[in-house]
Amino acid sequence: MIGRRLIGLFVTPALAVYLCFFLIPTGFTFYFSLFEWSGFGSDARFIGLDNYRRLWNDPTFWLSFRNTLTLLFVGGFFVFFLAFLYTILINSGIWGKKLFRLVFFLPNVVSVVALSAMWAYIYNPRYGLLNTSLKAVGLDEAGRTLWTSPDNIFWAMLAALVWVFTGFFLILLLAGVDKIPPDMYEAADLEGASLWHKFWYITVPMIWDVMTISFVIWIINAVKMFEFPFAFGFLQVPQQLYTLGIYLYIMGFGQRDPIYQLGYATAIGVVMLVLAFSLIVLVRRLMRRDQLEF
Amino acid sequence: MTVLRRLPAYLAIWAWVAFTVAAILWVVMSAFKSKREVLRSGLKPPAELRWENFETAWNVGRLGEFFSYSVVIVCLSVLLILVVSTPAAYVLSRAKFRGHEALTNLFVIGMGIPIPMLFIPIFGILAWLRLSDSLTGLTIVFVAISIPFTVYLLTGFFASLPSELEAASLLDGCSDFQTFRYVMLPMAMPGVATAAILNFIWLWNEYQLSLVILNSPENRTLPLGLYSLQNAMQYTSDWPGLFAGVTIVIIPTILVYAILSEKMISGMTMGAVK
Repeated sequence: MIGRRLIGLFVTPALAVYLCFFLIPTGFTFYFSLFEWSGFGSDARFIGLDNYRRLWNDPTFWLSFRNTLTLLFVGGFFVFFLAFLYTILINSGIWGKKLFRLVFFLPNVVSVVALSAMWAYIYNPRYGLLNTSLKAVGLDEAGRTLWTSPDNIFWAMLAALVWVFTGFFLILLLAGVDKIPPDMYEAADLEGASLWHKFWYITVPMIWDVMTISFVIWIINAVKMFEFPFAFGFLQVPQQLYTLGIYLYIMGFGQRDPIYQLGYATAIGVVMLVLAFSLIVLVRRLMRRDQLEF
Repeated sequence: MTVLRRLPAYLAIWAWVAFTVAAILWVVMSAFKSKREVLRSGLKPPAELRWENFETAWNVGRLGEFFSYSVVIVCLSVLLILVVSTPAAYVLSRAKFRGHEALTNLFVIGMGIPIPMLFIPIFGILAWLRLSDSLTGLTIVFVAISIPFTVYLLTGFFASLPSELEAASLLDGCSDFQTFRYVMLPMAMPGVATAAILNFIWLWNEYQLSLVILNSPENRTLPLGLYSLQNAMQYTSDWPGLFAGVTIVIIPTILVYAILSEKMISGMTMGAVK
């Protein structure tokens, strides 16, 4: 038996650091969001829900909100479409499975700032990898596209993000598929089932729990998205790339010129938390089903 | 026949793999080119290896200094994370006490909190503790944000260990602390190592909280140094210098990944795939 003293001794350090520097500060966000507060030196003034009223009428907030949702749903669609597709392909009994898995996951161990520098170079209109390759295969028209123009920059950023996250979720889905007993597929093969049938009637039901967790992880990542679009926007992040996280940062700290609307910024943080948690609850409810035994 | 049928699968996979490898190799290659060459030579390898780009990034871009800061902060953080999280995870997976489930959930919640929420409160708290703009403050924050996942991962790992040995050591008259120290901890070492690798890679690349907490040009982690190099590049157009910086930043994690990827991936998936 583990005694009470040891329990206290073992849990307290982790709990203390976690509470003082993570959980409680996060809780403060709710409180700060009720104040008008223009800098750490100055006094905060209680204004009730005015920050939220202001958010409601702020077009830049709605732009950031819409971008975050686009990232979540459109980005999520492509991430999971590709992750599923490549899970099937890599698992179709081909040679080199481990090597492929290694390379697909690779972008996830590389600094996002490094990735954004790389993608800026890929998208460079005159000498980037993309346009150079397009011209090389004779697509001169497409080879002159300005990938980072205001109309395209969000989608250009999203494509790069899909490239990163596909590898991440591929790893999770593959690990789930590896747990499926092979005799299930053998039985299906004997019955003459197609690849699609095996996927839909064996793989999907058997990795349902992994899928649920993957969706939850994606929601958390998409709602808090800050690092990649921020670095991708270079010195002055264009509004087309604003996510909720970026707008929060800019309202709190500014870019070249400080802004310091701390209360207002924390209200955006509260919106992020509410959005993340309500989506997680929704997904868990939608994906709930009886435990599958095998 | 089967080879032919699998051809489309190979093509699709190889297209993705080739793009990923080529893009990263191309960046590393460009780090050795001259400014003119980067703009003109397209996909060709560098005419000669220009190591001076690395010298520029290392000295003028001050990545050398920031590299040593990053090494110290990240290693110290990982060590502290493990020191506080491993015992906590052991207790959460093995001890029986009131409020056990609530405590576990309290730790798990941290994994769902969007980090940008923390920007303003943490800045305020560190200012209050006179730790703003300091590497010490950043280290504490690194430890705090890594605790939820590490505790979660290690709790799962301890739970997967057999309980017979534990019972035997208690019967032999070991105290609960000795049982942890001499029986359970050695068995948990593979899990602890996995947690160390994952935290090392995440914190090495972390830059959103570094951006918020560190303001002065003297105090920078490596990703922040690279970020300012990237911004300076808009005026200098020194692509090779930027890519030399990129190479410096990505080499440590890619090396760790190349050697320990199996362990890392198994750790990543363990939590999600029961």
